[in-house]
Amino acid sequence: MAGISWHYVLKFIITGDAAVGKSSLLVRLTDQRFLANPDPTLGVEFGSKLITIPEENKIVKLQCWDTAGTESFRSITRSYYRGAAGCLLVYDVTSRQSFQNARSWLADVRAHADPHLTCILVGNKVDLCTDDAARRQVSTEEAELWAQEEGLLFVEASAKSGVNVEDAFERACRDILEKIRKGVFDDDRSPGVKLSKPANSSLALDQAKGGSGQCCGT
Amino acid sequence: MEFLSQTYVALRGPTGAPQTPLETVTRLSDRLSPATLLADRRAAVLSLKGIARSHKQIVGEHALPGLLDIIQNDAEVDPDIGRAALECVHTLCDTLDTQYNLRDLGFVHTDRILENERTIHKLLALLADQDYHIRQCSCVLLTTILHNRAQQAQVYFLKAPVGPGPVVALLEESGDVITRDALRLLAALIRQSTEIQKILAFDGVFEKLFNIVTREGGLDAREHVEDALKCVDTLLRFNTSNQSYLRETGLPSLLCSLLYFNPNVQPDEGVPQEFALQFWNDSKTKCAALVLEAIGMLLGSKGTGLREGYAFTRLLIEMALASNAPTRLKVQCLRLLPANAAAMLPDMILTPYMPVPETNGEEWDRLEAATGIDALLELIMHGEYNGLDATRRFKEGMDLRGTAVAVFENFLREDRVKEAIVSGMLPPENSGLHARSPVTPLLFGLILPPSSPLDRANVVSFQFAAVLFAHLIRHAPQCKALARAIMPPSLAPMPPSGAAPSGGAFFVPADGGQAPPAEAEPEDQDEPQTLLQLLTEHLSLSFLSRSRAGLSEREQRECDRVICSYLSLLSQWLWEDPKAVREFLEAGGLGVLVEQLNQPSEVDVVIPGLCAFVLGLCYEFNREPGEITRETIHPILTRLGVDVLVGRMNRVRDDERIKVVGPDFWVLPCPTPQALNPTFIPMYENETEVWFDWAFVDFWKSNNYTVQRGLVADPNSASSSTVQSGEESVLVASLRDIIAKQAAEIEALQAKLKELSASSSTAAAVTTSSFDEERKALEASLEAERTKRSEVEKEQEDLLVLLDELSSKRARDKAAMREKGMDVSEDEGDDDEEEEE
Repeated sequence: MAGISWHYVLKFIITGDAAVGKSSLLVRLTDQRFLANPDPTLGVEFGSKLITIPEENKIVKLQCWDTAGTESFRSITRSYYRGAAGCLLVYDVTSRQSFQNARSWLADVRAHADPHLTCILVGNKVDLCTDDAARRQVSTEEAELWAQEEGLLFVEASAKSGVNVEDAFERACRDILEKIRKGVFDDDRSPGVKLSKPANSSLALDQAKGGSGQCCGT
Repeated sequence: MEFLSQTYVALRGPTGAPQTPLETVTRLSDRLSPATLLADRRAAVLSLKGIARSHKQIVGEHALPGLLDIIQNDAEVDPDIGRAALECVHTLCDTLDTQYNLRDLGFVHTDRILENERTIHKLLALLADQDYHIRQCSCVLLTTILHNRAQQAQVYFLKAPVGPGPVVALLEESGDVITRDALRLLAALIRQSTEIQKILAFDGVFEKLFNIVTREGGLDAREHVEDALKCVDTLLRFNTSNQSYLRETGLPSLLCSLLYFNPNVQPDEGVPQEFALQFWNDSKTKCAALVLEAIGMLLGSKGTGLREGYAFTRLLIEMALASNAPTRLKVQCLRLLPANAAAMLPDMILTPYMPVPETNGEEWDRLEAATGIDALLELIMHGEYNGLDATRRFKEGMDLRGTAVAVFENFLREDRVKEAIVSGMLPPENSGLHARSPVTPLLFGLILPPSSPLDRANVVSFQFAAVLFAHLIRHAPQCKALARAIMPPSLAPMPPSGAAPSGGAFFVPADGGQAPPAEAEPEDQDEPQTLLQLLTEHLSLSFLSRSRAGLSEREQRECDRVICSYLSLLSQWLWEDPKAVREFLEAGGLGVLVEQLNQPSEVDVVIPGLCAFVLGLCYEFNREPGEITRETIHPILTRLGVDVLVGRMNRVRDDERIKVVGPDFWVLPCPTPQALNPTFIPMYENETEVWFDWAFVDFWKSNNYTVQRGLVADPNSASSSTVQSGEESVLVASLRDIIAKQAAEIEALQAKLKELSASSSTAAAVTTSSFDEERKALEASLEAERTKRSEVEKEQEDLLVLLDELSSKRARDKAAMREKGMDVSEDEGDDDEEEEE
């Protein structure tokens, strides 16, 4: 291995109503582009990203599983909550309904996930409100209040303009690292947090050195 | 003992009278109810288990719900009863019975278990049970249920409250039995379910699987490694999400390490012998094949920046061209190599190895280092290990060479590469008339004269050389032009039996009699022959040796193969190249073809068909002035019969050797077609053979019809590169139309422009001149006016003078009159005059 490329691997899930922009957020994070007309996600899709947290001097590998918001996949996506260290609970600031449904998504997460999971509430699509304030259906204050009540982090973001997207993931990461520092997770206790183990992959190579020298002629 | 006696009592019944199985089972089933004591229930379950196999239907009918209840309620409390119940249900669901109706019963029982999700969820929970046997038995039962009714069971699995955790945890357990069972369960679980594959990847199944592989000691291990790698394969194949997950982890470098390859290898670094020379056995080969497949999938997966990308590509090339890996692995390496990787070959330095003879593959010689592209060409031309086993033509060896050709084809993607290679085969410039081309391996293989008897290894080398050369010149006019200037050096003396038939003369035996005896003509060594001429000559030689009496069936087949290669290469060269056609015809090609068409073999359809194809092609593209014109060929075609020729061409299409060839399948089992020579026995077992490659078959299929249409055309008809298949010609015609229209338009516009510019200039000229005139006129009139005015002024002056004179005279007269005393009017003018004076 060429040095340690990251210190922690954190598993994230992105959840929330259909069409609030979960896949777009992930693609914005991983590819720095805007997914204009995505197809609805079927089941779950994977994406990942390295994030540096300068204060902690740590590099974190985010493994994100982007889940389907459609109801028919809900039982499948539930299986992912258990193993996650962080969760992005996404709603659409121009859709009151998606904000209200966030309560049921949160209930789902609380029911299945690790109690120490870090959850950040993300109000997506703020770009639509900058020009046309009338489109906003969920005010920042209201969402912030609810996040406080529930003990969630909160940010408003836009996958289209990219504003606050990385910030959302970073804040969640910081919170998890904070928990790790405080010893909330006992080493590997949370399935969503892994220390990187560089020794793992050099094992076979060492064996190779002893293995097959004899068969070589001149 | 107590259990046995209880069972006995149960079976015997209270009265001692003989019991039917039904009665026994009913009685035992009754005892399964929770009301019964645990010990009694346990005894009943054990009894049922004992008779489940022999009375599967009855037990299933009466006891299954009770047994499922016991699994649900008692298994965690009492491992013994749990284990017995699990085993008993497993027997009921077993579908591996030899009897057909019993097999069906297994499915019926599975369906009853799957009526609701209860049992599946319980079994998943039991996978994490404290008791080893409970875990193991649940695992086995789940596997069986999944085998019987995968879809329904998978749906329940996805909704299980315990989640996939227990399955993954099971893979961590050490112990041969549980590892084996866990891997089987995993394999059954992930089959054809992308969602389960993803959720398991989320729960770290890849890590666990590779842990098993390393724990067991890598690819050399005997146990579990193959099963684990098979699961990895299933998890990755057709699952892009998992592919992108895996490529982000540290595991891809482990794939390299498993094959003893350094995942951080740099381009200027060599590859250690531990990788190049390994001990191989059957099971290791299977495992390595799975590792290679995984590497191929990661290389092909979407997304950029795979850290191991270079190492993977390098590994595939090194293993294929410079290792002692089994041949089928090498084939796989070349097949998995991404198309763009071929461009790396010229810059890569490899060290190939050769087995030391008589050491049974235990000692290896290191050969001189060579570039990747040289090693590839060497492999194609001579076969693995420099043609060590080339005469055997065993399947893997031939496949390897065939796949290498595909890599070479990728290398030739750009026309400039083709041109550079063909240019390299030209004689050095400015070295006089007798300059000859340098002998490259490709050229050497191409110009090797057909010996007699044919050498088995050389035949294949020639076939591959012909295929490679065809790749270089097909549809590349520039390369064809260059290739015409290749002057092959003379190699060995001519084969003793064959002699070149006289060059330009084409003898057509009209009576269909025997071929004329070849006139031996001394080879003029001073006259350099072009490659095309040489190939024509060799074609004729091959026909000659084919017609010799006393050839064995095997030898005839060799000859046919060589002839087919000549014809396919020539047809691709002559296509759309009138200059080459002329050279071919004047080198005696026409005679050779016509002779064959005059007395075709009744058995084989391919060679006469191809001869007709090449003849038609020559007629079609014979557009250069020369000795043999279209007018010369036309009567020959008429005599042979155009319909006959077309018929011959069409029969080729149905031949197996053309019909079964696909883009990556052209190494055929020997003999193909089987029906042609029912008595034919190949020299070696599992021998394979090559006839045509896909590129030629594709070429032939798309141009066959054009050639047929060209055959009926009048010799004076216009050049018919327009004779194309319907759609194409329509397209070309419409494009031509457009071009013509546009040209006409441009012309018209230009004319108009000219006209306009001309007229505008004349108009300008006209106006300026008229202006000029006007100006002149004006000037003139101005001048006239001026003179007039000056005249008038002068006149006026004169008049003034006159007036002055008059007035002075008048004054004098007045004075005179006054003096004379006459009354004279006083006028001011006078005063004025006077004052003035």
